[in-house]
Amino acid sequence: MAEGDARTDRYPLADALPVDLDDLDPGMNVLVSGPSMSGKRQLVFDLLAPESVPADPIVVMTTDDPASRIRTPFEDRSVRFDPTTFRIVDATGAPGDSDPAVHRVSSPADLTGMGVAFTQAIDQMGTPDRLRLGFVSISTLLQYVDAERAFSFLHVLSRRTSAAGYLGVYSIDPTTHEDRFVNVVTSIFDAAIEIRERDGDRELRVRGLSDVAPEWTPFPY
Amino acid sequence: MTASEAGTVLVVDDDREVVRTYRRYLEGAYTIREAYDGAAALDELDEDVDVVLLDRMMPGASGEEVLAQIREQGVDVRVAMVTAVDPDFDIVDMGFDDYVTKPTTREELLRVVEDLLALDRHAVDVREYHSLLVKAAALREGKSTYELDDNPAYADLEARISDLERTLDAEADQLVDDSRFVATLRAIDTAPREDIDG
Repeated sequence: MAEGDARTDRYPLADALPVDLDDLDPGMNVLVSGPSMSGKRQLVFDLLAPESVPADPIVVMTTDDPASRIRTPFEDRSVRFDPTTFRIVDATGAPGDSDPAVHRVSSPADLTGMGVAFTQAIDQMGTPDRLRLGFVSISTLLQYVDAERAFSFLHVLSRRTSAAGYLGVYSIDPTTHEDRFVNVVTSIFDAAIEIRERDGDRELRVRGLSDVAPEWTPFPY
Repeated sequence: MTASEAGTVLVVDDDREVVRTYRRYLEGAYTIREAYDGAAALDELDEDVDVVLLDRMMPGASGEEVLAQIREQGVDVRVAMVTAVDPDFDIVDMGFDDYVTKPTTREELLRVVEDLLALDRHAVDVREYHSLLVKAAALREGKSTYELDDNPAYADLEARISDLERTLDAEADQLVDDSRFVATLRAIDTAPREDIDG
């Protein structure tokens, strides 16, 4: 990781999380884990484009929602849909018009294709010094490749962005996988943000960060 | 390490003088196979071959056509294109893992082959890392920390996991290189299917 003013290199989070965590180190990879309809996708997008923070370049890799449905929530966050700073790697196989900001891959089973699309996205953005990568979702990826390939892909991708000083944010629905797989895949990440629902209320905790207590906190978003 | 353990390299070129030269450069370190055209290259290709040095311009099937066949068959092999001119195109887009410009030196050729074998090993190490983590997770299920501390098999697993973690992290910087990153993912894509008990 590059030396220098570590403070300014960090990735601010503003109020994306209801805990005392202002920013994340360059090169970190974070797992956002929660059941369906728990708001985890919103949270991934909030971590990529927090309100009132100058936008970093963003790449979103998607295996489930096609590019058109990824784009809307970012527009709602006032992120400019400009290919110099925002790109989508759409591996859903969904058809779409040619768009310089969208890199299409035929299927999440094509791990090489996703890697090629990611390098093209980065290269065509001018290899930025800072970037936030979103990956939605690990659960869908697992419907296309075996656990070993999924793990290997996520390991290589996360280490590649880490070496470049980027921030990675990945989502998973732990209720759709065996606990053992979830435990194993979690070990790839520096921190896990878990969302759960208790008696109709949403709670969140952050695990893996030494300066944040892993306590369940109301998450009313 | 014997040459066959270090890896098997298939040299494909219609110019026999080039093949002879590459054999001389590499055979101290690796097992060498030869082919003088695309069809013979595909015949020679089996699971023992680790790296193919593939001449781009050949009579009959071109290097690109042979590469397309190799990729279509899903052979688990790394392929470097050998070209007379510096490629003015993106080797990542073309599906090659690396390239060599003719005429090449012994050092350059050895470096390319070693790099390709290294990323192959990285992909194998990530799979091994996954398999060890699965085993450790299985051992942890239903056991207390106290029981695990007393279990030498668990301690051994943990040690091997940390070792691999260090190796993989030390190699992470190389993944910033586009062609190595993509070639590593391709090595994961083409790896043999996971064992049932994996």
